[in-house]
Amino acid sequence: MIATILNQVLAFVALVLMQAMVLDHLDLANGWVVPYLYVFFLIALPFNTPPWATLLLGFALGMAMDFFTSTPGMHASACTLMAFVRLLMLRLLAPRDGYDPLKRPIVAHMGMAWYITFASALILAHHLWLFFVEVYRFDNFPSTFLRAVMSAAATLLLCLLAQALTTRATRLQ
Amino acid sequence: MRDLFRFFFRQRNNLLFLALMALSMYLLINGNMHQRAQAISSSNAVIGQLYSVRNEVAEYAGLREVNRRLAAALAAERNLRYSLPLRADSAPPDTDSTGLQTYRFITAHVINGTVHKERNYITLGSGSLAGIRPDMGVIGMDGLVGIVREVSPHFALVTSVLGNEFRTSVRLKRTGHFGLLTWDTGDPATASLTDVANHVPVSPGDTVVTGGNDGIFPPDIMVGTVTNVDDDPSSNFHGIKVHLSEDLSRAAYVHVVSDLLKAERDTLQAKVAQP
Repeated sequence: MIATILNQVLAFVALVLMQAMVLDHLDLANGWVVPYLYVFFLIALPFNTPPWATLLLGFALGMAMDFFTSTPGMHASACTLMAFVRLLMLRLLAPRDGYDPLKRPIVAHMGMAWYITFASALILAHHLWLFFVEVYRFDNFPSTFLRAVMSAAATLLLCLLAQALTTRATRLQ
Repeated sequence: MRDLFRFFFRQRNNLLFLALMALSMYLLINGNMHQRAQAISSSNAVIGQLYSVRNEVAEYAGLREVNRRLAAALAAERNLRYSLPLRADSAPPDTDSTGLQTYRFITAHVINGTVHKERNYITLGSGSLAGIRPDMGVIGMDGLVGIVREVSPHFALVTSVLGNEFRTSVRLKRTGHFGLLTWDTGDPATASLTDVANHVPVSPGDTVVTGGNDGIFPPDIMVGTVTNVDDDPSSNFHGIKVHLSEDLSRAAYVHVVSDLLKAERDTLQAKVAQP
């Protein structure tokens, strides 16, 4: 329990720093693709995280990002929404006899199809909200929508890549 | 009463979600107003330090280019100084007719910045201790960079030219007509020039400079060149695209402009504005 919490705190700090120091400064495809890998923290929370903790962690994660990007409330609202969607998706995708407490929401435990359904729903909710709040208006809807979807694809790809790298590392141990 | 409590208990997660969402929306709406973003921003000390460290690492990659541009800027400055006695008006450009210095330039180091968001901000490694105040203009080696939004003792947060809240008065150098520079293109190298009436002859290649009548930027600072004039027949104004001369993705050292006569001018204008 203590080890899990410590791991989560480390993941939180590492992902937020990684986002603010490296990923936010990439200029991919002329600014059309901005991957937000930090949301991986919220996707990979254990299955038995209480709903209230999921929501509070989502809000805290967003606020941490907001401190770096000077955008009070922008990431916080997107991550709170994402935490809420996570609760819905967990209920929707639950196996008949509930989640195995030993498993975690990662590809290695839940399979590729389950993971992509779960993760892309969360990432899309987060990115669509974030990009539309950032623009603050709806007048160039198609371009903002495309930016959000392309960035979501990049984020999902990075989530899969991060797992491919870390699971190999655990197997070697 | 008990049913009410039971209802709240059953709905506690939805209520928590709504409360957190309301809190972040409150921050979102109020935080974007000037001044209120003080606490949550990258000009605060801890985040500023982190960005300084990041910048120290990232800077090495661009040092050669920065050196070349600094040397070029120095050479241009020297050329200007030595050619002054030959010019018709021998006063240096930052003094007024009485020989009083009207602008002071504070050198600052860019420690963080983005160019690909809808609203971009730049963090400078100097703040109020160096004399930087909100609403001062920021110019780079080749052109406009932005306007200071907030300062802390050691850092300053700048609203970049690349953002839909940025607008400043500019002038077409050849014809002398004023217009408004805004950024709605999404492209970090291109801005729009609006409010230039249809009868003004504008052609690609025309130089755009600052207007100098807003008390933020000195006059005749290079902004960019006109690349495209696209006229909508239903409008009385030109639709002009301007290529920005400053490459904001590479700006490393900038000058913050302190208008030394701003207080005097503002006091005078306030007298007239009073009923």
